[in-house]
Amino acid sequence: MNIKIDGIRVDVPEDFTILEAARFLGLDIPTLCYHEGLSAWGGCRLCVVEIGEGDRKKMVTSCTYPVEEGLVVHTSSEKVVKSRKMILELLIAQCPTSKTLQDLASKMGLSQVRFTPKWEDCIYCGLCIRICNEQMMGKAIGFVSRGDKLKIDTPFDKESDDCRRCGGCIYICPACTMRCPGPDHDIVLCNGCYNNLQPTCTSNEDNYNCWMGLKYECGTCVRDEESQIKK
Amino acid sequence: MKQVSSIEDLIDFRKLIMTQDEEQIPCLVLCAGTGGQASGSNDIMRIIKRHIIEHNLHDKIALRVTGCLGFCEMDPFIIVEPGNQVYPKLEMEDVPLIIDAAVRGKVIEEKLYKEPESIVNYRSQEEIPFFKNQTRTILGKNQMVDPIRIYNYIMGDGYAAFEKVISNPDPEWIINEIKEAELRGRGGAGFPTGVKWEIARKAGNNSTQKYLVCNADEGDPGAYMDRSLLEGNPHLIIEGMLIAGIAIGATKSFIYVRSEYPLALKHTLIAIRQARFLGLLGENILGTGIDFDIEIVRGAGAFVCGEETALIKSIEGKMAHPKQRPPYPVNQGIWGQPTCINNVETLANVPVIISKGAKEYKKVGIPGSRGTKIFSLVGKIKNTGLVEVPFGTTIREIVYKIGGGPYGDARLKAVQTGGPSGGCIPEKMFDLPIDYESLNKAGSIMGSGGMIVMDEHTCMVDIARYFTAFLQEESCGKCSICREGTQRVTEILTNITQGRGKIEDLNLLEELGQVMKDASMCGLGQTAANPLLATLRYFKEEYIEHIEKKKCRAVVCKEIISSPCQFSCPIDTEVPVYIALIAHKRYEEALQIIKKDNPFASVLARVCHHPCESRCKAGEGGDPIAIRDLKRFVTDYGIQHRLCLTTDPPEKPNGIKVAIVGSGPAGLTCGFYLSKKGYEVTVFEKEKVIGGMLAMGIPEYRLPRDILEYDLDYIRSAGMEIKANAALGTDYTIDSLFDQGYKALFLATGSHKSLNLGLKDEHVEGVLPGMKALSSLNLGEKIDLGTKVGIIGGGNTAVDAARRILRAEASESVAMVDTARSVLRTTTPESVTIFYRRTLDEIPAYEEEVEGAAEEGITIEFLTAPKRIIAENGKLKACEFLRMKLGEVDESGRRRPVPIEGSEFTVELDTLIVSISESPDISFLQDTGLEFSKWDTVIIDPETCLTKRPGIFAGGDLVTGPNTVVDAVASGKIAAESIDMYLTGKEVKREYKITRPSKYVEPVEFSEDEMDELLTSGRTKMPVLSPEKRKYNLIEVSQGLPEKMAIQEAKRCLRCELETEEGKLFLEKLQENNALKEVQK
Repeated sequence: MNIKIDGIRVDVPEDFTILEAARFLGLDIPTLCYHEGLSAWGGCRLCVVEIGEGDRKKMVTSCTYPVEEGLVVHTSSEKVVKSRKMILELLIAQCPTSKTLQDLASKMGLSQVRFTPKWEDCIYCGLCIRICNEQMMGKAIGFVSRGDKLKIDTPFDKESDDCRRCGGCIYICPACTMRCPGPDHDIVLCNGCYNNLQPTCTSNEDNYNCWMGLKYECGTCVRDEESQIKK
Repeated sequence: MKQVSSIEDLIDFRKLIMTQDEEQIPCLVLCAGTGGQASGSNDIMRIIKRHIIEHNLHDKIALRVTGCLGFCEMDPFIIVEPGNQVYPKLEMEDVPLIIDAAVRGKVIEEKLYKEPESIVNYRSQEEIPFFKNQTRTILGKNQMVDPIRIYNYIMGDGYAAFEKVISNPDPEWIINEIKEAELRGRGGAGFPTGVKWEIARKAGNNSTQKYLVCNADEGDPGAYMDRSLLEGNPHLIIEGMLIAGIAIGATKSFIYVRSEYPLALKHTLIAIRQARFLGLLGENILGTGIDFDIEIVRGAGAFVCGEETALIKSIEGKMAHPKQRPPYPVNQGIWGQPTCINNVETLANVPVIISKGAKEYKKVGIPGSRGTKIFSLVGKIKNTGLVEVPFGTTIREIVYKIGGGPYGDARLKAVQTGGPSGGCIPEKMFDLPIDYESLNKAGSIMGSGGMIVMDEHTCMVDIARYFTAFLQEESCGKCSICREGTQRVTEILTNITQGRGKIEDLNLLEELGQVMKDASMCGLGQTAANPLLATLRYFKEEYIEHIEKKKCRAVVCKEIISSPCQFSCPIDTEVPVYIALIAHKRYEEALQIIKKDNPFASVLARVCHHPCESRCKAGEGGDPIAIRDLKRFVTDYGIQHRLCLTTDPPEKPNGIKVAIVGSGPAGLTCGFYLSKKGYEVTVFEKEKVIGGMLAMGIPEYRLPRDILEYDLDYIRSAGMEIKANAALGTDYTIDSLFDQGYKALFLATGSHKSLNLGLKDEHVEGVLPGMKALSSLNLGEKIDLGTKVGIIGGGNTAVDAARRILRAEASESVAMVDTARSVLRTTTPESVTIFYRRTLDEIPAYEEEVEGAAEEGITIEFLTAPKRIIAENGKLKACEFLRMKLGEVDESGRRRPVPIEGSEFTVELDTLIVSISESPDISFLQDTGLEFSKWDTVIIDPETCLTKRPGIFAGGDLVTGPNTVVDAVASGKIAAESIDMYLTGKEVKREYKITRPSKYVEPVEFSEDEMDELLTSGRTKMPVLSPEKRKYNLIEVSQGLPEKMAIQEAKRCLRCELETEEGKLFLEKLQENNALKEVQK
């Protein structure tokens, strides 16, 4: 299949997705819910790219879109970059303590989050479900409900007999593992908190404890140990 | 029941049914769709059946129970064939009368349909504008069909298209017909159906299992077109599906109906069974070797299942998450097989196209959007229901010609199309012809056809919040952008409607909305931002008002408004607090609350135009609280018991001098508040009397002189100096004031220069300018009046129509009535007649004034305008008038009076008072550096009252033109704040605070009996002087409420201020304290 990505013409196998074609070319498209060993989900929307030309341009997720003959792709147009930043802003507001998200933010140059943080554990990327279903063959968890009531759970919230406690879901989760433990910790962080960043919407909440003593002044805020994050 | 097993069988059978001898008896058609049943048509049906049985009328009258006919506002209704008389909004007692009349071929005139507020009734359905202006190609069939009788359907030439197709099944021909007809999907996206079928047909090969799906999920709140089609004419859909199945080669099909449509499910199931039994569905249909069957799948309550990929997942039994396309469902759909999904209305159009032929079908509609579309027209209009119109019809035609326009006085603001995924189209764009592209360009979508009409009492921010909250709940949650985006938008919009918005929110919302549009996977997410983006595009001022001014102009957002009375008061009087205090008999506290924001309390308690009462919640479906009368009760009590008659002058005067020109309500209020702040204020008044319009323009029988003096004393006690007989321009100038050391000026000289009628001989003896006449009457000056007095007033067609703000006309109408009644009291005329150019309903003078005038014997000629003055020897002899009739709606939202040709008539008059249009006299303000409008008003920054020249402020009628007292007082208050900021070196910027009472008062306890009484009692009526006692004197007409009546009226107050979060908190604390007290006992 002959396609054109960012002006580069390339011939790729029929069953490739745009993401695979881009990676083949060495172009960096950020992803979150994509994992090579699992089926593509297309839910995090970070890998969006712009396809088509003129009036017929639209944005699609590169991880799910199969290549077509003559396809024209732009991986970093202004619209794409704006969208990625906004999506990341929303996800970080959901789950500010995820190292994966903070790293992505640094790479993209995102420096402020204008939404009230929700301090959740989950960004509903579905990786845990897919590793359980497809790799570990446990099929113990899935999406439940929709909208703001969406959650990932076992059927009817009951303890599962199918779950073998393999830990695959924890291993693959980008949000709950490797939470940012603060700037003084051994584990290297994105160092976002060392930049001169604008205050986030933390000004709306006052139960944070900035470890650098610069309350409200850094871009990455960490909860103090007393207030636990609820499940 | 009959079964057919071959094509010839079917042809013969259909011919037999259609050529049956029809008995020529009248037929009652009863609408029993879901809407009809909810309105009681089941009871009507039972009564009809019983009546027919009891009176043995089986051979004399027939009954046809149909599905929804679209005239939902008039449910339950009956149409009597063959004359097609429409009897709407039936009561059960009406029914036997109608049946008996129909049997005898007679009509019951009084019960026929008539337009609201009209006396003309329509003799048949074809004449009724609601039906006349539609093109009911599809929906009209519902009227002919009892949905659960297949014979009924066939009798109306049903299954004709199927017969045509099955006799010579040629998929290519079918697809070409549909393509030529340019049929587009009616589900919302508008994809060409013919093209979709073509792709579906080409998918796979002859042995591939293909599926057809009829999408009857119809999740849009308020849209019920598909429901009505399935309930009312399921066979039409079955026929469409059969033809579609043959065209694309599908042997199995599904109708996906949402569970919330039990009647549609029931009727469709019955219809499928009947069709199958007859031999039209199943295997080897009529021996042709074609298989086709239909299965019903019920939805489970998710809006997202209307999206085709989610629908497919739902049919497969999985979670309804949409999937990215490609692959498209036509190639890989249910269980991987080619699947063609069509909307109910699309399929309903198919038999019509095949029967009529594509060319005939194309004649309706416009290029690019052929055929008709059914809309569910709901909201603030007279005729809500389902309407079917050709594409290209304008919104205005639908809303006004078919919908009947707004009910009530409120003006229409916008129309929301496409349900929660759509945007609003503002009133100024109502001439937009409806088709897919034009709506998209305007920022909305066609959607499934919902059309919600909104008026000025709808808050657009609240609408955006409501729809986005709906979408947030219905989002499947797969895409981060849609899930999080809708949640955040709802969060921010909720904050804005609760008064916690920030101006940066607007940019954030725009950005977020745009990304939602671009990066979402499915239609739900891509259109989720439409309500937000459309309202931001067309109604941004409302957002800014909510955020910066803490105002919701539609008076909807509760956390911003608190109580609508206090909110609408131009001077922010804490109405619910003083009313509650009256109910608790704490009159002195009530007086303090009133006087806190109002230096003219006694005056306004008699003459205010009470915008609070027009917004009172008790007034919605009942009588508004008599707020002004209650205020008068308190101020009168204060006068009687000598409470709060003066105020304390400031402790520390600062010695800064401020000059105020004009001692009307605006000037004196400004002076009052500036004096209280410590400034040295001097008020200059041209006349010898203080008070401006209060003394000169309002007659004593409405505002007694001594009452005015009480308020003037109160104001004077703040410490200002008032100089009468000092006129600007003659006794001093603006520059001289500055030279004398005044640091700021407030100009409030009012607007009372009468304009001319623009008629010849206007200046002959006997024709008097209105304001001069009125003030002379009020000040007791000598004025020459004859015996046949005519008064013209309330606005003038000769004046620039755009300037007519309703308030100006209100105060002028009041002046007109005041003048008439003053004449009656001070002289002994033979007759006093008012000539008004509009109707009684529209006269903006206060009701009690017009009533009073009529009681006193004043004649009011409505819809009359002056044409010619007839003079003799320089004296008025008569005046020629012209009759008017109401024409089109003008900018004020009312119907403009237009002259009726040849309707002139002459009235003998020796006095004609021209009480129209006053404009400000600005002769003394020339060359002072001020800017004026074309109506001679001074131009100011409305936020601050600053004129073009630094240090000079202006307000009151000088700025607005003739207006009401309370608006002038408000203007004075704002000016005082601005002048204070100016003189203390601060930036002159108006500060807005959210409306809240300064304190909360406990609710009143009621006994059971008291509660019962309150529920049935209406508003107390102000006792008035009897008309005989009013003759030839100026005694005050309104007498004031006695204490018992006042308390009873105060108890009727609904205490809206207790419904905010703050108010509720107060109530909770109160309960806790009471519980504690109980325990302590």
